[in-house]
Amino acid sequence: MEIYLYVALFAPLVGSLFAALFGASPRTKIAGIVPSLLLGVSFIASSVLLKHIVSGGDIVHVEMMTWMATGDLYIPFGFVVDQISVTMMMVVTLVSTIVHVYAIGYMDHDKGFNRFFSYLSAFVFSMMILVMSDNFAGLFIGWEGVGLCSWLLIGFWYHKESATWAANEAFIMNRIADLGMLIGIFLVFWNTGTLQYDGAFAAMQNLDQETLTWIGIFLFIGAMGKSAQFPLHTWLADAMEGPTPVSALIHAATMVTAGVYLVVRSNELYALIPHVGLFIASLGAFVAIFAASMALVNRDIKRVIAYSTLSQLGYMFAAAGLGAYWVALFHLMAHAFFKALLFLGAGNVMHAMNSELDPFKMGGLGKTMKVSMIMMTLASVALAGIFPLAGFFSKDLILEVAFVDHHFIIYTVLLLTAGLTAFYSFRIIALIFHGEDRHTALGFHPHEAYKFMLVAMSPLLILAIIAGFTMKMPYFEMVTQLLPATEYHVHSATTYWIMTIGTQLFVILAIFFAYRKYMSKDIRVPDGTSRMENNFFYKLLINQYYIPHFYEEYLVKPYRELSTIFFKQIDQKIVDATVDGIANVLLATGESTRVVQSGNLSTMLKWMVAGMVALLSLAVVFGLAVKYLDEIQAILSGLGV
Amino acid sequence: MLDNILSILIFFPALAGVLGFMIHKDSMRAYGVAVATIEFGLALWLWYAFDNTVAGMQFIEQVALIPTFGINYIIGVDGISLFIIVLAAFFTLIGIASLTDTKNVKNMIITLLMLQMTMVGVFVALDAIIFYIFWELSLVPMLYIIGAWGGPLRIYASVKFFLYTFAGSLVMLVGMLFMAYFYYQATGVWSFAILDWYRLILPENFQLWLFAAFFVGFAIKVPMFPFHTWLPYAHGQAPTIGSVILAAILLKMGTYAFIRFSLPLFPDAATFFMFPIAILAIIMIVYTAMVAYAQEDVKQVVAYSSVSHMGVIILGTFALNVEGITGSIFLMIAHGVVSGALFLLVGVIYDRRHTKMMSEFGGLAHVMPRYATIFGLMMMASVGMPLTINFVGEFLSLLGFYQQSHILTLLAGIAIIVGAIYMLAAYKKMFFGELTNEKNRNLPDVSKRELVALIPLSIITIWLGIYPKPILDPINNSVESIVQLMHDKSTSEEAKKRIPNLAREAGLVTSQEAH
Amino acid sequence: MMEIGLNHYLVLSTILFAIGLIGVMKRRNLLLLFFATEILLNSVNIAFAAISHYYGDLTGQMFAFFVIAIAASEVAVGLGLLIVWHKRHSNIDLDTMSTMKG
Repeated sequence: MEIYLYVALFAPLVGSLFAALFGASPRTKIAGIVPSLLLGVSFIASSVLLKHIVSGGDIVHVEMMTWMATGDLYIPFGFVVDQISVTMMMVVTLVSTIVHVYAIGYMDHDKGFNRFFSYLSAFVFSMMILVMSDNFAGLFIGWEGVGLCSWLLIGFWYHKESATWAANEAFIMNRIADLGMLIGIFLVFWNTGTLQYDGAFAAMQNLDQETLTWIGIFLFIGAMGKSAQFPLHTWLADAMEGPTPVSALIHAATMVTAGVYLVVRSNELYALIPHVGLFIASLGAFVAIFAASMALVNRDIKRVIAYSTLSQLGYMFAAAGLGAYWVALFHLMAHAFFKALLFLGAGNVMHAMNSELDPFKMGGLGKTMKVSMIMMTLASVALAGIFPLAGFFSKDLILEVAFVDHHFIIYTVLLLTAGLTAFYSFRIIALIFHGEDRHTALGFHPHEAYKFMLVAMSPLLILAIIAGFTMKMPYFEMVTQLLPATEYHVHSATTYWIMTIGTQLFVILAIFFAYRKYMSKDIRVPDGTSRMENNFFYKLLINQYYIPHFYEEYLVKPYRELSTIFFKQIDQKIVDATVDGIANVLLATGESTRVVQSGNLSTMLKWMVAGMVALLSLAVVFGLAVKYLDEIQAILSGLGV
Repeated sequence: MLDNILSILIFFPALAGVLGFMIHKDSMRAYGVAVATIEFGLALWLWYAFDNTVAGMQFIEQVALIPTFGINYIIGVDGISLFIIVLAAFFTLIGIASLTDTKNVKNMIITLLMLQMTMVGVFVALDAIIFYIFWELSLVPMLYIIGAWGGPLRIYASVKFFLYTFAGSLVMLVGMLFMAYFYYQATGVWSFAILDWYRLILPENFQLWLFAAFFVGFAIKVPMFPFHTWLPYAHGQAPTIGSVILAAILLKMGTYAFIRFSLPLFPDAATFFMFPIAILAIIMIVYTAMVAYAQEDVKQVVAYSSVSHMGVIILGTFALNVEGITGSIFLMIAHGVVSGALFLLVGVIYDRRHTKMMSEFGGLAHVMPRYATIFGLMMMASVGMPLTINFVGEFLSLLGFYQQSHILTLLAGIAIIVGAIYMLAAYKKMFFGELTNEKNRNLPDVSKRELVALIPLSIITIWLGIYPKPILDPINNSVESIVQLMHDKSTSEEAKKRIPNLAREAGLVTSQEAH
Repeated sequence: MMEIGLNHYLVLSTILFAIGLIGVMKRRNLLLLFFATEILLNSVNIAFAAISHYYGDLTGQMFAFFVIAIAASEVAVGLGLLIVWHKRHSNIDLDTMSTMKG
């Protein structure tokens, strides 16, 4: 089985290097096709491993070579394929294969075509390291690796100021969280003596609560950065500057879920510290509704989907925090399918509209882009959690978890969010595909995407529809060999049915409301004059609660100014001036005393005599002092010295 | 020949440099490259012949100079110094090979060869006086390089560099003389041999004073905050080759000396001063990183980033455990490679545009994609991306210090954030955006000669990031012996507690196994 | 009649030394400066000879001869320089000799 592991892991790297070979040459299809094929190979290898694991095979664990070893520290490049990582591997390889194929069409006209595939495959490789590593250090390699690739890909169109700015923002914000992660790793090492998952988690059972709490908090800070949880969330929306396949792969399906993966992977740790878990769940619920509220008014389809991703990540953390790790992982998987589909659909729309992102300038696109419309609508239905699509099985489960565990506040928040989710999803569907044709007047001539792109998307569509009812039970049986197999059943059947049907009705109502509101004929491109746009809440939401503004004003600017002060005022005017000051004092002393050296022999002789007299007197004084030492001491002691 | 390989390594370049005066100007480059290649070959041979399993000194040579006062020519190499020597030979080689059009190229190459003698000398010296001689001699070639081939402020910068470091070294010399005197008092024999000194246990208050005296010399060399201000001037004015050698090797003398002298000689004082120095190191890390962010000149960014990274090295050194010290030595090599490469890269653009102001650039990725790629790689290494050389060192240094203090490590860890901020900002200003400056429109990409230097550095950066074992193992062995020595020598309770006792741990394991 | 003892010689030596010292400080003429120096040296010679006689040790007198010899050679060199200076500048005033100004 090892061979499949290595194939699954390294095929993307080979693909990346292959595409990199063409980095400097003009666009060539081969640079896109070969990495895609290699990813397909990786997917097949992962499937073989999945089959092996599902059929009850042993966990595949290999140690490739030593990475770092010094003192008591020993870190190998070790990889493990168990129930958790194989799930992640399947999600990663499947979605990335599809996105690669899709991108061959999407990036067709871009002159950075070869470079793009090199980065994208490198990302997949990093992600595979992240999920397959058997120790925290290896996880951190992947963690930083995906950060690097995310930086490269957000800033892919590096001539755009906004893109490079967003790339740097994402990288730096992730770095802040990575510091937390690093500290968490140090804590694990010094308290357990190892960074291997099995050894570390085993040793954690004997640690005191305080240490465990700190470990849990710091590791979670790392997770917060990668998964863009509040207050480190602003980068995710800005990251939409990258090409859409990147948004689909990195900022929806895989990288942003790394935080959830970390919490799920560390379930043995978080099971020991339920209070931290509760905090994670509360934060998750908060982020869910917080992000959903910002998605309500946004006028950029990619950003709306990004906020929706953020919101769904909140759901996953809520589940993971409450101890329902398998539920979190299941939602992660289902979400990856329909969210990637949604993004790719949005990519089609963008392509058709010459990169226009404002849904108010579209309308009626359903006529020309029927397939894309169907795909996006179904993805949105799945996202909204309507029976029997994937979202219903994963998302409703999270609501049940919160309800069964008697966390009713979290439950209410998540329920409300479900309604909001349905509303904003169908708001953009309605604005893009239905209603009046507003784009022709603006000079757009949309067209449907290439056929092979649509074909490439179809597996995602199928999975978004069937993942729930076909995969839930086999999945449950598989992962619960490793994760706590808590089943969440509402005790009374009546309550269960009321809850389920109630939720469904609530969501459907929200969808109808969205359609009614945004299919009407009087939708205009907003110009800042309508009453709603001057509403306080609208302003608050469209400005993302003024948080980016706050960061810019109160963190970025002061940092920049402080840096300048440090350089101009402190470094140059104090530290360096002191050094130069000492040198100048010496120089000035020399300058002022050199007049003594007048060159006049007579004067110099006088100085000589004076010096001699001074030395002689000193000699006499010291001689006397030594001679009368006892008397002097007696006098001094008499004076009380 | 292997018995005298260290002496050959020291004096071969010097001799070749003297002979270089007779070489014709046109063939000087070839001569320089040939000499540096032989030297590098010798250094590699040394590495090959080096026994990784031995923790102590190897290839020791001893010649009596002034036996009455115990001043002897003693040299030797262990895992701590070995790789810095190889690195010095390597950088001299690529420095000469990639030397761009310089006036007086003959004198430059001779100066570089002389510099190489002093660099190797410092790292192999096992006698304090020999160490001191090479330490001071190394200032002279660098003074010439900055003063003769530097920018407009070169005289100011070179004199400042010379006097500042020289003043510090004098205090260090006084410390050495006192140390020898104490040794004489204790044993009745004069000795300046470091290995003899290692055996001397001093009372704590003596240690504190001597530590302080040595500290002044080393701290200025490193340079530690607030003694760092000579460095930006020196880097700002020095020619590319000068900056490369300065950053890659010369700065490492200070941190190396901390490990060679301060820690094993004064373990109690090292423990006593651990927290103050750690705080200085943190100020170095964060403060200079912020200063780097405020720079408009890309070379100054790299210069200040050097200071910031040296802070992490100091922190690792004063972790006083195997992980931290090993990490700091590894980071010395890593920082040598990465900052050397970054200075070379800055030199590439300076040769083309004769300016280093970032506002003059922008959008360079459009015209110089290969340059942008290599710069990006080195930038990511500098930022501490895993699987690059810097990460291993930084990770181990911080990990080591975490055992001593949690909160200080958390503060020092800010390095990974602020480091990313100034580096990414500089990269964005230089390479991203539209190409606005017409002068940049037709810049040629990196040339073959520049690639000669940059490609090997890129390979090392990644290779040692993925597989640091060949270097980490010998370092680890030597560091373990030093840490054990420190533990055994220390007298105070605090020091015994802070410095791990490896022998006991090993003993425990064996006794457990016995059960 | 009073016996002339060591003290008298030492007093004489001191007086001569003081005269010489004042001469060294006050004189502006190079030639007179040489005279003053000679007086200084001779005052020391007297002290050497007297103390040597007092202790019955000839080392002091030997030193006095050394001093005389060295004073002679010094004057020889000095006068030579003085003549050269006088030829060039036609004066030997100390105040004009300040080429060693720092």
